[in-house]
Amino acid sequence: MECHDITVGMAGSGGDGVVSAGDILAASAAAEGINCIMLKSFGPQIRGGESSCRLRLSTKQIYSQGDLIDVLVVYNWPDFARFGAELEVRDGAYVLVEEKDKTEDVPLSNASRCKLIKIPFEKLATEDAGNPKAKNMVTLGILGAMFGLPTEGIKRAIERKFKRKGEAVVAANHKAIDIGIDYVKAHGGPAADLHFVFSPAKSYMALTGNEATAFGALAAGCRFFASYPITPATEIMEWLSRELPKFGGTVLQAEDEISAINSVVGASFGGVRSMTATSGPGMSLKMEAMGLAAMAELPIVIVDVQRGGPSTGIPTKTEQADLMQAVYGMHGDAPHAVLAPSDVEDCFEVAWRAFKIAEEYQMPVIILSDQLIGQRKETVTPFDVSKVNVPGRIAPKLKEGDKFLRYEDTKSGVSPITWPGMKGGEYLASGIEHTEEGTPSSQHETHERMSEKRARKLDTLASEYKFIRRYGSEKPVVGVLGWGSSKGAIREAVERLNQTGLAVAALIPEIIYPLQTPEIKKFVSSCKHLLVVELSHSGQFEHYLAANALLPADVLHYRFSGGRVFTSKEMEMAIRAAAEGVAYEPKAPTEARKMMGKDEE
Amino acid sequence: MTETKPTPKEYLSGLKPIWCPGCGDFAVLNAVAKALATMELPREKVAVVSGIGCSSRLPGYLSTYGFNSIHGRALPIAAGLKLSRPDITVMAVGGDGDIFSIGGNHLPHVARRNIDLTCVVMDNSIYGLTKGQVSPTTPLGEKTITTGYGSIDDPIQPLKLLLSYEASFVAQSTSLDMNHLVSMIVAAMKHKGFSFVNVRSPCVTYRGKDQYDTIRQRSKYIDKEPDYDPTDMRKAWHHAITPEYISLGVLYQKPRDTYDERQGRVREAAKAGREWSISDVMKGFMP
Repeated sequence: MECHDITVGMAGSGGDGVVSAGDILAASAAAEGINCIMLKSFGPQIRGGESSCRLRLSTKQIYSQGDLIDVLVVYNWPDFARFGAELEVRDGAYVLVEEKDKTEDVPLSNASRCKLIKIPFEKLATEDAGNPKAKNMVTLGILGAMFGLPTEGIKRAIERKFKRKGEAVVAANHKAIDIGIDYVKAHGGPAADLHFVFSPAKSYMALTGNEATAFGALAAGCRFFASYPITPATEIMEWLSRELPKFGGTVLQAEDEISAINSVVGASFGGVRSMTATSGPGMSLKMEAMGLAAMAELPIVIVDVQRGGPSTGIPTKTEQADLMQAVYGMHGDAPHAVLAPSDVEDCFEVAWRAFKIAEEYQMPVIILSDQLIGQRKETVTPFDVSKVNVPGRIAPKLKEGDKFLRYEDTKSGVSPITWPGMKGGEYLASGIEHTEEGTPSSQHETHERMSEKRARKLDTLASEYKFIRRYGSEKPVVGVLGWGSSKGAIREAVERLNQTGLAVAALIPEIIYPLQTPEIKKFVSSCKHLLVVELSHSGQFEHYLAANALLPADVLHYRFSGGRVFTSKEMEMAIRAAAEGVAYEPKAPTEARKMMGKDEE
Repeated sequence: MTETKPTPKEYLSGLKPIWCPGCGDFAVLNAVAKALATMELPREKVAVVSGIGCSSRLPGYLSTYGFNSIHGRALPIAAGLKLSRPDITVMAVGGDGDIFSIGGNHLPHVARRNIDLTCVVMDNSIYGLTKGQVSPTTPLGEKTITTGYGSIDDPIQPLKLLLSYEASFVAQSTSLDMNHLVSMIVAAMKHKGFSFVNVRSPCVTYRGKDQYDTIRQRSKYIDKEPDYDPTDMRKAWHHAITPEYISLGVLYQKPRDTYDERQGRVREAAKAGREWSISDVMKGFMP
């Protein structure tokens, strides 16, 4: 049976190389013009722990990681059990299991309805390929031959990846692929009822959301970046530390989160576009300096790649529960903007727009990304960098003898700005309340006037800048309001339901703060039922919208805490329930998830 | 057109300081202005960054670019500014609470990275702005508003800290000797790399006459010593730890590569001899 959309999962120990096999498969998909989304997951160990990956390959545009696995590779069941909840397989799925694994009680609730096939992965690698580490390559050969995955593309991806290590390494890996292909030929040939069919198309790029964010910043002219290592945001610093110096920029791995953001404030004071990146706990440490940037009216960009919280929480898994912190976390009335990318491509888009807003409105701009899009690898068409447009700060025309008003109370709230080196523009930037000239003041009148001036920038921003996406029917029975990475599952569910005849729609604001109130109001009033979707146990997004009087009394929600992500199938069920005016309860944990609970440290 | 030498007054904003009469910080403000005039630096090429505290008000009294930021963060802000704008002369100023206590984690890292900026600490051993609490340099046993039975914390000794951090320039001066103070700030600014000047700057309001008397009675100009050698780390340590006198002068100075110079080499290595465009970099994402 031909298929155009297939999801493959792999689980093993650290040395099994499942993630690098996934990377190669993703690269080959990109090269062949196949759409791909890849998620990786790791155990807590630094090296040698269990790891897993899942890839969805499709000839159509895809927005989420895929619901249930069609083909699962298991090198040993205990490793798989750690990821059971992330690797749920569909009934009828192919499960390729290492022959050596003697686990009797297979941790798959629907094992009896799957096609379990024993394969001597280890033996093929050790004896035939002559290297136990070639197991993942043998597996790729088997997957390619059995299910129609692009074996030629895989070989080319291997060539590119290992070219620098020499021809012998490339040849050895190619040989391992062939061993896998030959094994399938000798043992029943391709699967009769699952064959991925594609025609090669123009190549895509393959990158993660964190890389896209970093690239967007670079394209926007960011030339100073300071950060402190934190999962799952560190890849932004890793990427920029390689690329920014090529453009004469500076990357500083600071001594702590506080130093990182303050040096970014200092660089911005110097007239240089600058950014920092972190996750929830780091955000809390950076808050004071964000207040400073709001008060001193300096443009800075802060990336928060959200993870499960509070505190250490679940560093390697996603959640959308930093929303309130990003919007309301600062002390005082501190005008700023919060943007949320919703997929990898959006990370690029939002990153450069964040700089545009920061520079134009002289305020801190927070990018609320999350682990799901930050660390997932996705195929995208090359970015149109020509549309990146971040006008520089407009320097005032300074005349000898004129008093320069750095914080001039203007109609838009945006004041003229200078930076060191500019003669006649000398001023005192300060976190203390100040007059238009920048002189410290503790007068209520000054504070009221300057608070009003700073807040006016938000009104200007909200009226001049729209960044919101709407999907689906114009007259929906159910309207879904979601944000950030939830978009993928929402959009897929909405498109599928509309095809089945149920009129539904979704609204995904990319600017979270200031709220695009008229657009949200219009959407809400056009829907019969409203469903708010988010990965937050307490429902931060719903409360935020409700606090702004945007929700009807009978609003429904579909939410749970992070650590797992939405699937489009479940999203469909939640929307169907909402169409009946009923709340949908997430389904009970699967057997795999129960077993995973026992395994937890 | 005739070039005239700038006067110290040109570097002052004219704003009246909020400091108490007799405060040591007046001398530091004037010394900074004199040092800038001595160096003949254009005002727009200078930025003075501070955190919070009595002494952190200083940038507001200058006519250069200034940044009166948040408590403890003068150094990272100054570092970010200097790294992105190496053409600007950057100074970070603050008190002992700001630099050694709440901002204490930044000092070793600015020092080890040898970021080319000057840090001037107005050390008065008290939190003055919040009205008299014990500070990290308050001597053991001293009574303050939060240590009514005498302080039980051993004080930080700034010069020892900076020597262990291997700051490339470590000096101490006092607001009681204007000429010496100016000469120390000038020497610090001329030093290529991170320079640190601890200024004993008395607080008359919360410490009375004590600090003035101590400095007057116990100071010693170390460059008058016959075997004075600021490149000798062992001698520097001796001047830092001796209980016999308060050392005034440059204790240690040894130039080494600045962070900016090293960063320049990183850039060269990254560029690998070619000019890069955004599209070039994007190609790295292609399979």
